[in-house]
Amino acid sequence: MADEIIARAGPHRDSGFQTRAFVVGVAGWILPGLGHALLKMWGRALAFFLTVGLLVLIGAGMRGNLFASSGNDAFDSLGYIADMGTGTFYFLARSLEKNGADVSHATGDYGTRFLATAGVLNLLAALHAYEVARGRKA
Amino acid sequence: MSGGFEFKLSHFQAMLLFALVISIAFGFLSRRGPLDRAKYIVWSLFLFLLIGVGIGWAMYPFSR
Repeated sequence: MADEIIARAGPHRDSGFQTRAFVVGVAGWILPGLGHALLKMWGRALAFFLTVGLLVLIGAGMRGNLFASSGNDAFDSLGYIADMGTGTFYFLARSLEKNGADVSHATGDYGTRFLATAGVLNLLAALHAYEVARGRKA
Repeated sequence: MSGGFEFKLSHFQAMLLFALVISIAFGFLSRRGPLDRAKYIVWSLFLFLLIGVGIGWAMYPFSR
């Protein structure tokens, strides 16, 4: 009897959870920290907004390379995916780099790593928010 | 500064900033309580710097 009730209620409940979790994950990707903010995890939301934002600001300030979608090889494509991980901050970094990238010095090369790390970190945070929304993590 | 938003950091400053920011993010991601987070951040920062400086020293004989 109990199994029947769960079986009837389960898919409906799961579908709502899945949609909500997906929205939370995507929100977290678009704006760093927003996914956790939707879950009322304010500390984590602020921490991810600030850390990802700081990495993007430092990376852009060091004139790191922001990869474009029209990459020449697999590394460019991977770099683009990593950079796009920052969501809207990708466009912020692009607007800050008025003089373009300069990787002829070590500083610019480090900047490229800062930008890519910001993206990967934000993807990790968005995935965490998604898992929390699904009830798999605390 | 020249024109836009840009600045230069030394190797050590860049490493220190990177280690600090990543340690804070990982601390918030993997721990819940404030004390646990603080401990994790300090320990992670220490290991980042120790390993970074250690690799730098280990590479010194091959630098030229």
